[in-house]
Amino acid sequence: MTRIPPSPPARGPAPDPPLTGEDAARSRDRARVHHARWHGRRWQLLWLLAGPGILVMMGENDGPSMIAYASDGAQYGLGFFVPLIPVLFALAYVCQEMCMRVGAVTHRGYGGLVLQRYGRAWGWFGAGDLILTNLVTLVAEFVSIRVGLAYFHLGAGVAVALGLALVVFTLSGGRYWRWERIVLGLALFNGLFLLAAILVRPHPGAVVSSLDFLPFPGGSVDTLLLLLASTVGATVTPWMIFFQQSASADKGMTAGDVRHGRYDTAAGAVLAAVFGIGALIAGAALLTHGGSGIEGFAGAGFPEALKHVAGSAAGAVFALGLIEAGAVAILTICASTAYAAGECAGVSRSFNSSPRNAAVFYAANLGVALLAAVVILIPGAPLLSIALNANVLATVLLPVSLVFMVMLANDTALMGQWVNKRSTNVIGITVIVFVGVSGAAYGIVSFLQVVHLINS
Amino acid sequence: MTADAGQGSGRGEPDPQEHADEPVGHLQRGQFVAETSRPVPRAALSTRAIAGLWALRVFVVLVSLMVIYTFIDQLR
Repeated sequence: MTRIPPSPPARGPAPDPPLTGEDAARSRDRARVHHARWHGRRWQLLWLLAGPGILVMMGENDGPSMIAYASDGAQYGLGFFVPLIPVLFALAYVCQEMCMRVGAVTHRGYGGLVLQRYGRAWGWFGAGDLILTNLVTLVAEFVSIRVGLAYFHLGAGVAVALGLALVVFTLSGGRYWRWERIVLGLALFNGLFLLAAILVRPHPGAVVSSLDFLPFPGGSVDTLLLLLASTVGATVTPWMIFFQQSASADKGMTAGDVRHGRYDTAAGAVLAAVFGIGALIAGAALLTHGGSGIEGFAGAGFPEALKHVAGSAAGAVFALGLIEAGAVAILTICASTAYAAGECAGVSRSFNSSPRNAAVFYAANLGVALLAAVVILIPGAPLLSIALNANVLATVLLPVSLVFMVMLANDTALMGQWVNKRSTNVIGITVIVFVGVSGAAYGIVSFLQVVHLINS
Repeated sequence: MTADAGQGSGRGEPDPQEHADEPVGHLQRGQFVAETSRPVPRAALSTRAIAGLWALRVFVVLVSLMVIYTFIDQLR
């Protein structure tokens, strides 16, 4: 394999390449990073370099995921899931750290690199997987906002208007930094799920005693496989891979920022695990009530059920949490679609570009949100089934994206000294096998039951 | 494109305030749009790797079709 020659720094002997507005905007952001680093301002540096890692993890704590965690709690209680969620986010950290590292070292997004390095077929396959899962997931996010708003007696039209208004508002600044900070501010409200957990007043002993992975959830094989596949799909998905690598590059991160990128990703994973457990604990309050209200996408199902068991404050907080989770996920998932579209089309793909210079990027960002919004306005559309199957489909399609991620992170020509360590590869391959087996097992078993080749 | 790792950052460089008025003084060469628009060379994959990737792709498509079929069946 040919070693790709390193590029000299911008102020080196070679003449500077032609400048764009995107370069100038990114340079201004980098100037602040360099200034903080030069003056040894650690906290400012952390603040400046935080972003893609927290956003990707908070974006993955989306509406369907939080409903999935709460449903797990309502159906099975705390045991098994309280320790499982941190384990899954630890696995997610390993995958996302690779994305951040590849983006920071190569300054390129995932879709573009796969397309150029391994061929157009693989690039377009990946983009196709992404668009399919993103569309399905975005529908589920709008449904999540609708469920939250239904608690406050607001309808689907308001959910669509709110989601689309947020996308347009965040796109309007023409700066990555502005987009990132707005979404980070919104993402903080994912902590509402922790507040909901506190409001249901769980017994501390029950939480502590659930840390031994017991009792293992009972039920039929396909139910357990669906549970596993959807819980895995609630932790790592294809859009996360596209998003974090592209956002790290768009933010202007460099190999010198990898350490801070790791802090950012780890902080996101810890917060997401804590808030996910919050949703689980809130849902577990319904366990003693026969799991009532777990049909969480019917009307204001879950928040209403919680209100009857734990009071109106818990219900309202959970409903607000669902609105936040859906909103943040819409913004990050639309961004991942836009990055992939721009990279595969080989055109400008940056929040630092103007809509005129990055028409494909902005059109894909808004277009995919519009398409999903239209679906939830269709009378009689199977929204409940779409929402429940979104995570499963993401799990099934994930292994291919992960394989290319590991290949990129091991590509010496691209990564130089920043290639994966052996231990990272072992964990990465374990994640691929785990995800592949759990997704495929559900797909095959449920299909065989549907065609009556095995009994349910 | 790559391996400009660590260049232009940290205490080894001039005080950034020196270049505060220069719009691109803080970018590494690989970060310029002109550089990232340049395609990277195609990787040479072994026949076994290509076969493995296609096998995984076919498997994933088959399982996806099963999931979609099950999803449609559940709607009835």
